[in-house]
Amino acid sequence: MRGLWKYISPFAPDQSGAAAVLYGLDGIVVICDAGGCAGNICGFDEPRWFSGRKSAVFSAGLRDMDAILGRDDRLVEKLCDAAEKIDASFAAIVGTPVPAVIGTDYRALKRMAEKKLDLPVITIDTTGMDYYDKGIEHAYEALFPAFADKSLKPEADTVGILGAVPLELMHPGDIEWISQSLAEEGWKQILLFDEIDDYRNAGKATLNMVVSPAGLKAAQYLKETFGTPYELHYFGLDAVVDFDDNLFAGKNVLVIHQQAAASAMAAMAEEAGAARVMTASWFMDKPEARYENHVVLKEEDDLRDLADNDNFDLILGDLYYRRALPNFHGQYVDFPHFAVSGRG
Amino acid sequence: MTERKPFAITVQDLVARGRNDIPAELITSTHLIYNSPAALAFNSPGAQGFGVKRAGLSIPGSVMILIGPGCCGRNTTILSEMGGYSDRFFFYIMDETDIVTGRHLKKMPQAVCEVVDSLPEKPSVVMVCMTCVDALLGTDMERVCRKAEQAAGLPVVPCYMYALTREGRKPPMVDVRRAIYSLLEKEPRQRRTVNLLGYFSPLQDDCEFYDILKAIGFNQINEISRCADFAAYKAMARANVNFVLNPESRLAAQDLEQRLGIPSIELTRLYQVSQIHNQYQALAKALDVTIDDAPWLEKARAVVHRMQEKYSGTTVAIGEMQNGNAYEMALALTRYGFVVREIYANLGPDDFVYLRHLAELSPDTKVYSNLSPSMLYYEGDDVSIDVTIGKDAAYYHEQAAHLHWDEDIQPFGYAGVVSLLNRLEEVLLERKKR
Repeated sequence: MRGLWKYISPFAPDQSGAAAVLYGLDGIVVICDAGGCAGNICGFDEPRWFSGRKSAVFSAGLRDMDAILGRDDRLVEKLCDAAEKIDASFAAIVGTPVPAVIGTDYRALKRMAEKKLDLPVITIDTTGMDYYDKGIEHAYEALFPAFADKSLKPEADTVGILGAVPLELMHPGDIEWISQSLAEEGWKQILLFDEIDDYRNAGKATLNMVVSPAGLKAAQYLKETFGTPYELHYFGLDAVVDFDDNLFAGKNVLVIHQQAAASAMAAMAEEAGAARVMTASWFMDKPEARYENHVVLKEEDDLRDLADNDNFDLILGDLYYRRALPNFHGQYVDFPHFAVSGRG
Repeated sequence: MTERKPFAITVQDLVARGRNDIPAELITSTHLIYNSPAALAFNSPGAQGFGVKRAGLSIPGSVMILIGPGCCGRNTTILSEMGGYSDRFFFYIMDETDIVTGRHLKKMPQAVCEVVDSLPEKPSVVMVCMTCVDALLGTDMERVCRKAEQAAGLPVVPCYMYALTREGRKPPMVDVRRAIYSLLEKEPRQRRTVNLLGYFSPLQDDCEFYDILKAIGFNQINEISRCADFAAYKAMARANVNFVLNPESRLAAQDLEQRLGIPSIELTRLYQVSQIHNQYQALAKALDVTIDDAPWLEKARAVVHRMQEKYSGTTVAIGEMQNGNAYEMALALTRYGFVVREIYANLGPDDFVYLRHLAELSPDTKVYSNLSPSMLYYEGDDVSIDVTIGKDAAYYHEQAAHLHWDEDIQPFGYAGVVSLLNRLEEVLLERKKR
C-alpha cells in the first residue's frame, strides 16, 4: 500500500540534512518545531552532537497557540533573547512540519528577524516530508550566496568537498578520514564546509569534489560564480568490500545507496567482473550522478518488488534494508548509510 | 555586552522570589530550548526511555502505526532495535497531498488491515499514533479509528504525540497514559485487587509497597508492565482502587473513576525516609488500616546512617533525567549529609515544597535549567563534584562518578532509597579505584 512502511523505519528527514550542514558553523540554529524534531536531529541524526564540540542548536519550542495564531513575533523575540546571550555570526531558522502546515512565510520571518538582530539571518524551508538530501541542498543554497566572498580567486592547493556530512557517509568518522586522505594527496587547504570560513573562502577552491547528489546544485552554483570545476567522488568503498576477492565475478548485483555512492560502487563492481549491475535509491535522483541501470524507489514496496526474490545474487545496501527482503536468498553485504540506520 | 555564562540562581534566592516569581530562564515557554545532550530527554523522550511511541505499546500484544511525516518516526529506529519492538512498529508516511486532502485518513482502515494481515499472530490492539500535523489539521482520529476497527475486527486506539501541547491540559505523556487504559471495560470490582498506575515498567521487585499492600489485604496487584497477556490487562478493570504513583497518570485515574467507578489514591515517589514513613501512615489512615512499615523503615535508616558516616560532605550534582524529582532528591541527600552543589531541572510551583526546606539546609545550592540557551556556556570547571545523578548531570561533570539512575525498572519507597544509596556507594567506590 502506498505510504505504508512495514519493515523499514523512516529515513533522516530534510531538516536533519539542513541542520547537519549548519552544524558547527557558529550560527544560532533554530529548529522551528515543538521539540521532537530538534530532539531527533540532535539525538539521532547528528553524531557530532556527542563529540563534545558544542553547537548552538535550539528548538523554537512552538506550542499549539503559537501555531494557531501564527505568532512569529514570539519566535523572533526568543531568537533576539538568545542572540543577546550567545556569540554567533548568523542565525538560521530551519523548517519542520508545523510551519509547513500553517504556511509560515519564511521570507517575512527572515525580514522580521533581520530588522531586530544585528546578524544575517537565513531561513531553510524544510518540511519534514522530504529526505535529508533535500535539506542539505537547501542549506547550501542559503549559505553560499549569503557568505561566499565573490572577490576571491582560485588557489592551486585548495579543494572543496561538498556533501561530506555524516548523514551521507558510511560512518561519521569518515569526514576526518576524507580530509586526511586529501592531505596525503597534496591538497594544502581542504574546505569541508563545516566551518563558516569555508563558505567565505569557497572561491579559493580549484576543484570541488561532490560526495553526494545533494552537493551538485551547490557545485553548479560555485562553477557559475567562480568557475570552479567539480567532479563526483565518493570515498571509502574499499572499507565495504575487498575488490580483489572475486565477490562480484559473474554475479547479478544490486547496489542500494545514495546515487553518488551507489554509482561509484556499481562502477567498481562492473570492473570486478559482475555480470549485471543495477543501482537503486530512495534519495535524490540527478542525471549527473545516476548509474546507467538505475531504479528510483519511492515506496517500501518498490524495494520488495525489485529485490524480495532471487533476481539478484548479491545485494549491497545498508543492513537495515535486509529485513524487508525475507525472500532474497543471495548474499547481502552491508553498505552502511548513516541517514538510513543511524549506525555510527 | 554579550553575557557568556549560564543562568543560575541559588535555592535561597529562588525561595526569596517565591513560587509566583520564577525566573523566565527556568520557564521553558519563554525562551528557545537548548538541545544539548543533557536536554535530549525533554525534546525527544522517545529517544531516551519512554516516549509516547514506546509507552503506547505497553498493552500486551499491541502493535502501533505511526501516521505522520517521515521525520516523526525517525527515532523509532532506535526503539526497533530494542528487544521486542522491531515487529511492532509500522508507519504510514504522510506526504504533502495527504496534508492538503486528508487522504491518509481514508486509507487508515486499509492500512490497519494490511498490517494485521502481515503479522503471523493477530495483535490484541492496533495503536494509531498521531503527530503535530494531525493536531493542526484538527483530525477526528477517534472516528477514523472506529472505522478501522470495523474493517479490521479488533480494537484500534488513537494516541497523540502532540508535542505542541506539552504544557497544555493534556500533554502527550499524560494522554498516552489515559489511552493505554482506555480499553478497560466495566467489570465487577474485586475487593482485594489494586492497580498501580504511573509507570510503563514495574516497580523494583524488592519494593516494600508490594508487601505492605498484601499485608493490608490486597492480594492481586496489577501493573500493566507485568500483565502477561491481553486477558491479564483486561482484568485490571476489576481493581478496587488505583494507586497513582506518577502525577502524569492522574488523568488516566480520573477516566477510570468516571468510566469504571474505580477510585484512586495518589502516592509520591520520595527519597526522604521520614516522608516515606509519613506517606504510608497517611495511606493507612485513608484506608482505615494499620501499616507496619517498621522493618523497612529501620533497614532504610541503617543504610542512611552508614552512608552518612562514610560519605558526609560528598559533593553531588543532580539532574532531571533520572527516576526522581531533582529537588526532593536534593533535599533528601542534603539531609543524609551530602553536599548538593548544583541542580539542573525545570522548576514548577509545586517544587517549592522541597525548595523551602532545602533553602534552610543548603541555601547556596545552584539551580540551572538544562534548556536555557545560556547553558551553551556551562563549563562546570569551577565547582568540584564527586558524583552526579542523572544522565544530564553526568554530561556536565565528566570527571565525577556517575549514577544515571534512569533504568526502566522503577525505584519506589524505602527500597528506592536503599537502592539509590547503595548504587551511589558503588559508583563512588568505582571512581576511587580509577
